[in-house]
Amino acid sequence: MARAAALPWYLWCCVLAVTSSMAGVHWDISWHRSIGRDTFWSPPHLAIYLGAVLAGVSCACLIFSTTFDRRAPLRECAVRIWGFRGPLGAFIAAWGGIAMLTSAPFDDWWHNAYGLDVKILSPPHTVLAAGMIAVEAGSLILILGQMNRAAGEMRERLERMFLYVAGMMVVGLMALLLEYTYRVLLHTGRTYRVIATVIPLVLAGVSRASGRRWPATTVAGVYTAFLVALVWILPRFAAEPKLGPVYYQVKQFVPNGFPILLLAPALALDLLWRRTPDWNRWALAAVSGAVFVAVLVTAQWPFADFLMSPGARNWVFGAHYFDYDTRPDSYIARSLFYPLETPAQLRFELALAVAAATLSARAGLGWGEWMRRIRR
Amino acid sequence: MIGRLLPALLAAAAAGAHVGSPDVFHEGSAGPYRLLVVIRPPAVIPGVAEVEIRAAAEGVREVRIVPLPASGEGAKFAPAPDVALRSKEDPQFFRGSLWMMEAGSWQVRITLEGEQGRGQMAVPVPALAVRPAVMQKTLGAVLFGLMLVLAGGLASIAGASVREAQLEPGSEPGRERVKRARKVTLGTAAVVALALYLGYQWWGAEAGEYQRHLYKPLELRASLEAGGKLVLRIENPRWLGRRVDDLAADHGHLMHLFLVRMQEMDALWHLHPEQSGPGVFRQPLPAVPAGRYKIFADVVHRDGLPETMTGEIELGAVAGAPLSGDDSGGSAPWSQAITWAESSLPLVAHRVHWFRFRVQDEQGRPAEDLELYMGMPGHAVFLKRDASVFAHVHPSGSAPMAAVQLLAAADPHAGHAAQLPPEVSFPYGFPSPGDYRIFVQLKRRGRVETAAFDARVE
Repeated sequence: MARAAALPWYLWCCVLAVTSSMAGVHWDISWHRSIGRDTFWSPPHLAIYLGAVLAGVSCACLIFSTTFDRRAPLRECAVRIWGFRGPLGAFIAAWGGIAMLTSAPFDDWWHNAYGLDVKILSPPHTVLAAGMIAVEAGSLILILGQMNRAAGEMRERLERMFLYVAGMMVVGLMALLLEYTYRVLLHTGRTYRVIATVIPLVLAGVSRASGRRWPATTVAGVYTAFLVALVWILPRFAAEPKLGPVYYQVKQFVPNGFPILLLAPALALDLLWRRTPDWNRWALAAVSGAVFVAVLVTAQWPFADFLMSPGARNWVFGAHYFDYDTRPDSYIARSLFYPLETPAQLRFELALAVAAATLSARAGLGWGEWMRRIRR
Repeated sequence: MIGRLLPALLAAAAAGAHVGSPDVFHEGSAGPYRLLVVIRPPAVIPGVAEVEIRAAAEGVREVRIVPLPASGEGAKFAPAPDVALRSKEDPQFFRGSLWMMEAGSWQVRITLEGEQGRGQMAVPVPALAVRPAVMQKTLGAVLFGLMLVLAGGLASIAGASVREAQLEPGSEPGRERVKRARKVTLGTAAVVALALYLGYQWWGAEAGEYQRHLYKPLELRASLEAGGKLVLRIENPRWLGRRVDDLAADHGHLMHLFLVRMQEMDALWHLHPEQSGPGVFRQPLPAVPAGRYKIFADVVHRDGLPETMTGEIELGAVAGAPLSGDDSGGSAPWSQAITWAESSLPLVAHRVHWFRFRVQDEQGRPAEDLELYMGMPGHAVFLKRDASVFAHVHPSGSAPMAAVQLLAAADPHAGHAAQLPPEVSFPYGFPSPGDYRIFVQLKRRGRVETAAFDARVE
């Protein structure tokens, strides 16, 4: 039997780039929670920028070879931008690499001007995040172009790769939302609204574009496995705070919390979408939005109670790890939820969450159908 | 002897302790080791403070430094200390850099290991964000160029995704697709422009928030009451929940007030107003000549944060009350008994110098009648001619004694009670080049003598 053709090198480069960046992002956040101080050349930063360089350089090579080599295999399946030729995904990922590298001097200046950032969302970090998401989206589309032209075993392998990268995209988006999804905020409607604004788009888009049986569940599974692995692996490494004030004695890397239970709504959506292939898109989006929020809240709300309980203070769930600057009177140290919203505000936020999830799912369905037609 | 400390990276334009002179100079004992410490606080918070340490004698094996808040919960748990790097040229000189994470009253704890065992010292440092953000033109141009490339690239990618991405390999886009791609390119360009505008607004909001944290000194309103009483009202611009009812006594006084007649700087009074209500101080003026006076008022908050308020007042000739208590001062001609040794040495900005002053008796012999003045062998004021720099310095350095006492295990005045030598030295580094006047105050046989010297700093 003939051996199946190997996956092209540039796809592996993109997968490696996405993985390196996502590991770097989580490692970096953990670094700030446990050691505090870093430099531009810290190992997590290098992992993040390795992703940028890898994606940027491999996609640039692909674009140059397709542009200047008339016999290049992808010449017939290329798009043209500014005189260059290459797969659409390569252009998007290269754009992401440039954006990520642009964010480096911007971020460095930002720290010198306004001090070390103590929050995740800042303008230079947004440029970095846009770059990382573009690398992920570019990798997705690069795989898709190939996948939609392939058949048989090659298509299956590309589909698995596609879902893995989509899972990494969820990892990246959830890292951006980390400040909204801390344990103390899991009884807050706003948390569910921000998740509902972003995640249904990816799940719906990927499900529509992929031909596999459990696409949303697989994507959520990649996110869950990646974060659980971090909860289990990061604390194995010693770390001590190098910044004061130190309110909590940290001896190891502090992970970024147990993953949000996206697996539950993803499973529900897979079941729903399998039974409703011919529904009107808006109706499907409305039902999908409601299902997403209802299942997520039903699963996460009591699980958040558990995470606050002594039962979660072990290596499996990691609820006993605290940042070095955790004040003893803080909500997290006392295992209390932030009382941010009144019951009326909570209801309003959850209603908004359903509306946001509907719009997000609708956009995702459109995006997915667009992706399904990608050939280049 | 102690003159090779490296210059600061960037001097801040203003600071809370003193005026325009943010660096901390501190001379003291860490157990058996005598040290001169210079701390150059960051101009943005969180930011990096540069620490320079010189041991007076050999035998120091290792110096560790660590920053932590001066008081409160955060002062109990120190992060892992950094090892200060020993200079290759000068084995008694060490340097390091430390992150200061929050604005307020901080300390740098220094631990030494050496031939004489272990020693520890804590130096108070005010950590204040004082520098507004400015982007260098070259960097701005590079980032602007990259922004245009990224914005244009995004619009073109969007266009290409409509024009060709869904075509079967080898086929060319039709006219309709090309037309639609153009529309999508323009539409994406508009969306990107909107996103950039919103990003710009966000940046402005972040900069505004940072501006809110920029240090805002306490303000001083000075007026003259009937009977020649100076009234000082402290106004507290909103800054990080600072209060004015939490002042600590420094050398027994809540406020050390300096009145300097401008522009000549030919009259100086060092007074100690009494607090008559929260944020209100009153001081009966001594006999002062008419003129425009610059006011510098030093206070220290209970957490060790020092602040110097500035103000001005136009005074007619005041008959005034005789000086009493620790109040001192006068006008030219100044005391001739105090002379500045090494006054001909070149002075360089950002470099720490020892300023040595000798005192002679009437017969020209080294004076043997020096006494402590408010617990110190002497007080010096370094004042730039344009009044943009003011620093009140003691032989132990520029940190106020109330802040040093807050951190010290033992009385920092201990050892001062012995008979004082006829020479008093002050460690200080000018923050910028220019013309300065140095006022020196020493106490002899119950009477405070004031002398003034001019200094040109390159």
